[in-house]
Amino acid sequence: MAEPILEVHDLRVTFATEGGPVPAVDGIDFAVAPGETLAIVGESGSGKSVSSAAVMGLLPSNAEVRGEVLLDGRELVGLEADELRKIRGNDIALVFQDALSALNPYYSVGWQVAEAYRLHHDVSKKVAFRRAVEMLDKVGIPDAARRAKSYPHEFSGGMRQRVVIAMALVNNPRVLIADEPTTALDVTVQAQIMQLLADVQEEFGTALVLISHDLGVVAEVADDVLVMYAGRAAERGTVRDLFFRAAHPYSLGLLGAMPRIDVPPTRRLTTIPGSPPSPGSISAGCPFQPRCAYTERVGERCVTERPELTPRPGEGDHEAACHLGRRPEVVA
Amino acid sequence: MSSSVAGAVSPTRQALRRVRRDRSARVGLVLVAALIVVAAASPLLVKLSGQDAYTYHIDLLDPARGNAPLGSFGGVSAEHWFGVEPLTGRDLFSIVVLGLRTSLVIAIVVTVVTTVIGTLLGITAAYVGGWFDAVLSRLLDFLFGFPQLVFMIALGIIVPAKVPRTLLLIGVLSVFGWAGLARLIRAQARSLVTREFVEAARSVGSSGWWVITRELLPNLLGPVLVIATLAIPGYIGAEAALSFLGVGVPPPTPSLGRSISDSIVWVYTGADPWFMVFPGIALFAAVLGFTLLGDGVRDAFDVRLRRTR
Amino acid sequence: MPGIVWFVVRRLFATVLVMLALSLAVYLIFYAIPADPAHLSCGKPCTPDRLEQARHFMQLDQSTIQQYLNFLRGIFAGRTFGDGPAAVRCEAPCFGYSFPLGRPVTTLIADRLPVTASIALGAAVLWLLIGVSLGVIAALNRGRLLDRLSVGVALIGVSTPSFLLGLLAILAFGFWLNMVPVNGYVPFTESPVDWAWHLVTPWLVLAVLQAASYIRLTRAQMLEELNLDHITTARAKGAGEARVVVTHGLRGALVPIVTLFGLDLGGLLGGAILTEKVFSMQGLGELLISAVGQLDVAVVVGVTLFSAFLIILANLVVDIVHGALDPRVSHG
Repeated sequence: MAEPILEVHDLRVTFATEGGPVPAVDGIDFAVAPGETLAIVGESGSGKSVSSAAVMGLLPSNAEVRGEVLLDGRELVGLEADELRKIRGNDIALVFQDALSALNPYYSVGWQVAEAYRLHHDVSKKVAFRRAVEMLDKVGIPDAARRAKSYPHEFSGGMRQRVVIAMALVNNPRVLIADEPTTALDVTVQAQIMQLLADVQEEFGTALVLISHDLGVVAEVADDVLVMYAGRAAERGTVRDLFFRAAHPYSLGLLGAMPRIDVPPTRRLTTIPGSPPSPGSISAGCPFQPRCAYTERVGERCVTERPELTPRPGEGDHEAACHLGRRPEVVA
Repeated sequence: MSSSVAGAVSPTRQALRRVRRDRSARVGLVLVAALIVVAAASPLLVKLSGQDAYTYHIDLLDPARGNAPLGSFGGVSAEHWFGVEPLTGRDLFSIVVLGLRTSLVIAIVVTVVTTVIGTLLGITAAYVGGWFDAVLSRLLDFLFGFPQLVFMIALGIIVPAKVPRTLLLIGVLSVFGWAGLARLIRAQARSLVTREFVEAARSVGSSGWWVITRELLPNLLGPVLVIATLAIPGYIGAEAALSFLGVGVPPPTPSLGRSISDSIVWVYTGADPWFMVFPGIALFAAVLGFTLLGDGVRDAFDVRLRRTR
Repeated sequence: MPGIVWFVVRRLFATVLVMLALSLAVYLIFYAIPADPAHLSCGKPCTPDRLEQARHFMQLDQSTIQQYLNFLRGIFAGRTFGDGPAAVRCEAPCFGYSFPLGRPVTTLIADRLPVTASIALGAAVLWLLIGVSLGVIAALNRGRLLDRLSVGVALIGVSTPSFLLGLLAILAFGFWLNMVPVNGYVPFTESPVDWAWHLVTPWLVLAVLQAASYIRLTRAQMLEELNLDHITTARAKGAGEARVVVTHGLRGALVPIVTLFGLDLGGLLGGAILTEKVFSMQGLGELLISAVGQLDVAVVVGVTLFSAFLIILANLVVDIVHGALDPRVSHG
């Protein structure tokens, strides 16, 4: 792996609430290099979106962030608001899930893309707007010069998502965080948007952090994968590690819930029983233990001892946080 | 508004519980209760003070100062708790508590009248739809385009004196008041009319009256209560404003607005600014109390009253 | 935009119809009243003969409908009362003639309007500034001291009748502190400084009272607006806090604020009646009150119609502005 542009070490996020502090992210590490794609996978509530917001410094004031977030070696956690502002949208940009609500309904899309440019470049509105049209054209908005004057509600879902991507890319960011960028879209449009992201990445060498629960998308575009469960890393490795040598029962469960064309359709899709624990309710032991089919084989340890992320012998950087030593076989 | 038709704990009871927990609503509730008790018991209180609102006490005035009351604070004494009115020497305590009663009675009667008319017409328009709804909507537009205060003033003086003023006041305030309520209720009821339980009642052959009173009305009780409570301070203010302008309650019936109007000259000359203080505080407390309570009730029922245009 | 032109044309047409209905209603009500305006101008001793003469001169001997038609014709053709050297001419557009004041109603309204408009417009600017800024401050400091303070001010504002606060202000600033004049009006053309100086107290009084509802509205709208996703987008783009709050947050709250403002301006005459009485100013409100006292029906009808016209006009302007402010609203 090349020298990483974004490194996150032992990131912890705690929300202060009326019922006391609630940990949302409980010590995760990841890194992504220019031109590469890291996928963060997990169910909703696993802390994946909170992690990305923490990297951007976008969490509300009741959130406490600890750990290290290094952008090209520069620490972002605890950075002054104004310094952070200069980095947001310029060095690190965000693509949101729901483009309709992510865009301001009162301004034309050209204005909004131009605003993102003007916030980091000292140029006239006219120059910025020209740059915005150029960018809209690049992300595949037909007749961009004219459409730039239209408002978000006048676009289709896919086109809106392209606008959001144009807005994120207008400053050539070094890191792009895409938070479920295709969930709200039709399948065909999904593929187009993912292709667009891949093209952009190739052209500009952008590092991409893809947050998703869609393993199909992940398999296609990711280089590395981080599987999160209840605010912690369950498994980390290359995309091949995950799809061919998944070591954590939770990852297996996610794979089992994914429809595949390389497996005969006679096998039924499996689901993971139960639901993820609510933040703050995790005591000692493995957070996945109540839903795990392998607990009986390991025994007491799953209940008493929290598993740490440990390297899988002979599998390079592949790590999993599971007491089960050998690779679990699929239980049908 | 809760959508449950027949929940285990009725939404009304839940809302009342929420009102009790809301501090400013509690203040409003206490204030309103106190004012209502004072207004209801005003004849008794007046008797208790040993005074009345009509007897002149010229001996308590200072002719050298244009017949302003003798003594400090506008002539406050053991007999005259709020002092006396300048020029006449009438007991100000009696005038204020009886004036408060006048204000509250008019405001509450108008609220009841407008609430009944507005609710029934609003629900009926939503339920019946068609030409009835169209006519009502145009009528509401017409009433909203009307310069209400201007019209009330004009009417107040032009209507012959044999029509009792209090009745005229209630009538005029009601004629213009029900429109706003009807519009809000119509909007709320329209979202209910399409729901299954109304359809169900219709399909088993319930009459329109039955559906309106047994199905729609109970479900709109929350919004109606909220709108009515929030309307009361407006009527208190309107009655006071009209009396202030001399077209409201006629003398000698005590009225807070008229007392404040009478006090202008005494405030201007500085001869007896206290004349304004007691009626002013009573009026302020009445509007504040109902406003606080209204806000509390609205939050408790979680009714969103958007300016529908 | 041809859509907006059509919209305005249609609405103006509807406005004319509503005004016709209104004027007829006002006419029928006021002329059905048994009090006889001719009494006041027939002089003393008022013989039945002279009364009849006066009634004929004032055209009160005609039927109500005939009088109404005369009124309508007068708008386009003007009216002449009586004949010979004593004839009184009211030039088109004639909206009635005041016999007690000896002048056409339009002239009377035109004379008094500057006073009422000065009070209302000055106060409107102030209350908009105070209300919106306090509302924004309250929303940004939700639950903290500044919020409670603003909400408290707003509560006192909505609970205080305008005439009460006006009297208190006169008492405090005019008499005790002897800072400002307590009554009277100086035309702007005579001395702009004296004009403003005489209006300061009514402006402040009206502004404080009216600002209350703007504080409440702005606060509620801003709390809603600042929770929207596109606010996070603006932050993620690198927009500073001021830009996020004003350009993105307040922009969305603008539509309801402008709506309220337009309607308040339309209803300014109602409020002016009270203010003018408290501050002894000779505006439209005072004109109306004294006309009512003298049974000067022509003036009463004229002022009533004029204020109805203002309300309807304000509604029209609000709807047009609404379309201009919110790109999602179409006037098709």
